Amino acid sequence: MTEESAASADAKTNGWEPKMVVFCCNWCSYGGADSAGMGRFQQPASARIIRVMCSGRIDPLHVFNAFLEGADAVLVTGCHIGDCHYVNGNDKTKIKYRYLENVVHELGIEKERLQLNWISASEGERFANFIRDVTAQIKKLGPSPLKPEGVA
Amino acid sequence: MQKGEMYVGWSTKEDVRKRGGSGGLVTSMLAAALEKKLVDAVVVLKKINEFEAVPIITSDVNEVLNSAGSLHSVPSHFAKLIANRDLKIALPAKGCDVRGIIEQGKRNAINLDNTFIVGLNCGGSMHPAVTREMLEVMYKIKPEDVHGEEIEKGKLIFETKDGKEHAITIDELEEKGYGRRESCRYCTIKVPNNSDIACGNWGVTGDLVGKATFVEINSEKGVKLLQNAIDAGYVQVQKPDEKAVAIRVRIKGVMEDLGKKWKNKIFVPIDNRLEYFRKELEHCIDCGACKTVCPTCSCGDVSKCTEYHSRSDAYRMSMYHLVRFLHLADACIGCGQCSDVCPVDIPLTRLYRRFANPVQEQLKYEPGMDMRKPPYFEVKLNE
Repeated sequence: MTEESAASADAKTNGWEPKMVVFCCNWCSYGGADSAGMGRFQQPASARIIRVMCSGRIDPLHVFNAFLEGADAVLVTGCHIGDCHYVNGNDKTKIKYRYLENVVHELGIEKERLQLNWISASEGERFANFIRDVTAQIKKLGPSPLKPEGVA
Repeated sequence: MQKGEMYVGWSTKEDVRKRGGSGGLVTSMLAAALEKKLVDAVVVLKKINEFEAVPIITSDVNEVLNSAGSLHSVPSHFAKLIANRDLKIALPAKGCDVRGIIEQGKRNAINLDNTFIVGLNCGGSMHPAVTREMLEVMYKIKPEDVHGEEIEKGKLIFETKDGKEHAITIDELEEKGYGRRESCRYCTIKVPNNSDIACGNWGVTGDLVGKATFVEINSEKGVKLLQNAIDAGYVQVQKPDEKAVAIRVRIKGVMEDLGKKWKNKIFVPIDNRLEYFRKELEHCIDCGACKTVCPTCSCGDVSKCTEYHSRSDAYRMSMYHLVRFLHLADACIGCGQCSDVCPVDIPLTRLYRRFANPVQEQLKYEPGMDMRKPPYFEVKLNE
């Protein structure tokens, strides 16, 4: 067993919690996260939310940076297509995401570590479920291979 | 004369016809364009020796005529040379040069209306350092003794100063790791139909073999170029027969199939890709040469890939390369310049193509082949 897989096996048994960077747009998915809290939907404490005005603002560079700084997963969330506060911001997200997905996959990072989801402000339960599902998936995979040394 | 027509032509100047590859038509056409003020300048390669040449922008007709002759082991790229200069210019260009020029045109660095592109059929070029080594190891001759080189019927022939010819088949050379640059092996743009006028020796038959050039006109600018050269008395053309056209199509097909075969051979799926990329990039010294020569990159000195990259971050992957992998996913034309200039011999073109192949296939986008906007900048994907 190599050193890395031993470490991830160790992490799985020791109650390791993944750290995920969640990009939320101000108008929909951030509201969704809010209503998840107000509705008291249980979710694991793995998400670190970064609020942006629109999901179209998320540059692939931000996602790379999150991975390189040690995020185990990066989630991109925004308004449903057609509901964008800025008319077509999330259409642009979709295009950028298409590229990003290909590059990240080709780089050898598991598909589950980068996900896109549309969540509206009223879908608190959907937000909580999404975080819960992804956390479970990442727990199975173990820490990200891009995590720098010394970062938990 | 109009778009889509094909001709066989040659230079009327005895000297150019003798020295130039395939009848010196391209040289004469460029000289005529300059003399008749169709353009203000022409790009030519100024030869130093068989393995070295510098591309220059010149307005001197004699300099253009002197440049006659082909050099297979000088893989230069002209797109960056003429970018941001705003010249009325004519230049010879291989398939990848043309693609680079069109990509720069899309990024507003070259005015394509003022650029006359003479496309050259290209089966591949060779790296000068590799060629020198190959001459010593495979041909057992000194690089300094080489007087001329030629590619004929799949054989690479070098002529030494004492008049002897040394020939080895290209397949044999490539098996040993010499021969064409890797990016040329899997290139599938052999006849540059994206240029204004595509020239080459494929399709030249009978007595004319080696003494004439086959021309296909691809645009209105191409018509202007050739008509101008004929009016000025620099070149002569005639119609090719049907057999010649068929031969050209056949050679093109064979070369493209060969390219596709190489592509499948080189880009085999890898299991532990992250480890592979990390290993390939671990010697990178951040010199930035790959970005400087990249013919589709037009950010200039202040760019995302360099500004957000710092060695002190000690990341597991270089941010510089990650950003470039992403940016080139839809822009990479596979010209091979980055691999050529890398001081630590990272096979960069192969890495960039690993990202570009799936993206360009998925989006059905071929950069540099037409004026379609890069899909990354579209507001909505049309699917």
